[in-house]
Amino acid sequence: MLVRRAAATILPHVVLVVFSAAILLPLLWVLRVSLTDKLTAYRIPPEWTEPRLDNYIEIFTAYRFADWFSNSLIVALASTLLALPLAVAMAYAFARHDTGGAPLRLGVLASQMLPPIVLVVPLFALFLGAGLLNTYAALVIAHLTFNIPFLAWMLVAFFEGEVRQLEEAARIEGATRFQAFIRVSVPLAAPGIMAAGLLGFILSWNEFLLALILSGRATQTLPVGLSSLETHRGVEIALLAAAALLAILPVFVLLPFLRKYLIKGLSLGALK
Amino acid sequence: MRKLLLGTTILGLGFGAAEAQTLNILMESVPDTRFVEELLPEFEAATGIDVELEVVNYAEMHTKLVPQLVSPTGSYDVIVVDFYWVGEFAKAGWLQPLDERIAADGFDTSVYFDSLQDLVGQVDGEQLMLPFYNYAMGLTYRHDLLEDPAEQAAFKEKYGIELRVPETWDEYLQQVEFFTRDTDGDGKNDFFGVVNQGLRPDPIAMEWSNYLFANGGRFHDESWQPMLDSPEAVKAVEDYKRNLEEFGPLGAASFGFDEAFNVAAQGKAYSYLTYNMFRTAYDDPSQSAVVDKMEIVAVPNGGLNGAWGWAIPNSSPDPDAAWTFLKWVESPEIAKKRAMLGGSPTRKDVFADEEVLAKYPYYPALENLLATSHNFPVFTYTPQFVEVLGRELSLAVTGEKTAEEAMQTANAELEALLKQDGKL
Repeated sequence: MLVRRAAATILPHVVLVVFSAAILLPLLWVLRVSLTDKLTAYRIPPEWTEPRLDNYIEIFTAYRFADWFSNSLIVALASTLLALPLAVAMAYAFARHDTGGAPLRLGVLASQMLPPIVLVVPLFALFLGAGLLNTYAALVIAHLTFNIPFLAWMLVAFFEGEVRQLEEAARIEGATRFQAFIRVSVPLAAPGIMAAGLLGFILSWNEFLLALILSGRATQTLPVGLSSLETHRGVEIALLAAAALLAILPVFVLLPFLRKYLIKGLSLGALK
Repeated sequence: MRKLLLGTTILGLGFGAAEAQTLNILMESVPDTRFVEELLPEFEAATGIDVELEVVNYAEMHTKLVPQLVSPTGSYDVIVVDFYWVGEFAKAGWLQPLDERIAADGFDTSVYFDSLQDLVGQVDGEQLMLPFYNYAMGLTYRHDLLEDPAEQAAFKEKYGIELRVPETWDEYLQQVEFFTRDTDGDGKNDFFGVVNQGLRPDPIAMEWSNYLFANGGRFHDESWQPMLDSPEAVKAVEDYKRNLEEFGPLGAASFGFDEAFNVAAQGKAYSYLTYNMFRTAYDDPSQSAVVDKMEIVAVPNGGLNGAWGWAIPNSSPDPDAAWTFLKWVESPEIAKKRAMLGGSPTRKDVFADEEVLAKYPYYPALENLLATSHNFPVFTYTPQFVEVLGRELSLAVTGEKTAEEAMQTANAELEALLKQDGKL
């Protein structure tokens, strides 16, 4: 009996440890590489040396890491904050009024199925004409092209079901449609909106192709900057590891705050 | 929210306005780019022109360049062009001919090596680019092993000839065989005669080109008739396969230059046929365990040439300032300074400079490399041909095709591409 109970506790943990290791070990390896030089990084069998912070210093002094980082932050924050209200309104319209019917919903989804390279060239031509190339505005607008449809699709589900009944109750109490939307539906969908916002931020933070083609020196984002560490004379692996670790920092920082929303947001409506 | 929108718009306008007074350059990430960046303050002080130098990854550069080049006015005043794209860019008419500016300013282009002028300088008699830096391939080898008396004696006993810096291809192949060994006695080779970059398409195609030239083969004759079905080409494929399979580390068939270089830099291979700019990297203790042990020599019969050129695109917003920059960056003084920092020059006078020679004693070897090197076929479909060649070589190396079959297919497809381009 005792043995069986012990097995029931240990077994899930063994499985969890194995799967966690599969995800965490590569990250730990990156951490280790970021604290050595290229010579040690490629040693087989691995060799442990005194950890050094040189790489973390060099990406700020020899490369423009601080600029890349702040550019990414500006673009990802702006595009997510702009996309959220638009996407909320769109999702609400889809859920409550079935605006445009199935064709419009499919149309929004279809825009997400286009390979990004198809959008890049027309966007480039438009921004060139408008004199917006190499500006933050160009990158933010470009990132809206995937952020709005993605967030809207995610949010539709949050405005369906019991939210609708509570909203109707508010209407009976005398609220206008807009009041019911702002006071009842949006707060109820808040976990979903937070979760969608975080995912939108990550999408924009990681986006490469649009940022490559539409950015200039002053607006280069992290993914574009990081790729330049892969040079024609070899990959600067130690620098790249240090830069990559710093690049995932914002998500690490945001995650504890947003975890409860994220889990609630993703599982809400699952049991309907 | 409105504030944010306004903010981004203002920022946007701000950058738009600033562009007019500055020179925008797009370059790839390579040591020479860093050296140019270091020297830029001199240019800015001398001319009062601000330079915005944007650096992107090589593999992404073409994607970024093409939309720029097709627009009437783009973001870049000066670009750098890999020999891969010269045929395409020239045919599309995206680059401004420099001949009038060269004549007006008396800029001397005879200082460039002929092979580089052919590759990234002139196209059909028109000067479209100025050769920027070269990446001709050479044979890097462990000179400490060659000079070891015990190795010399053992080699002489086995092959009946002296162990020395290889002057013929066969001699080199013997050395590759000789140095491949099992040093810890576990039945598996752990020191290799050669490390190859067998990844397809570019790494294997570029490296194998040296095997082709070393065997006396050519891609095409004077009138562009393809010659890849020759016995020399087939022998080159067989040599390559044998080196990879018998005398190289496991997995070399999927190594890019970074993986291959690291095998050599970790001191696990006698030789690596690679781009000459890696010669300086061997002497950098932060990435190499073979400091002062590697040397470079031209591939017997001459290896593969490679280079980048400076160009002013038609979409350049300020071609006059662009030319001012080109004249400055390719002046003897700046070219020399770049070489002193560790760059890969293209001007003959830099190779003859005493200070440069004193700092880098292997420069005569590099000069010989450039002087003897051969060019890859440069035409509109060069990138497509690299795909074809890489695929066929890879199939031959993995045994899915014989060397003859692979070369016949490559030959036929090269012929088709040349016909499509009007060369045949």
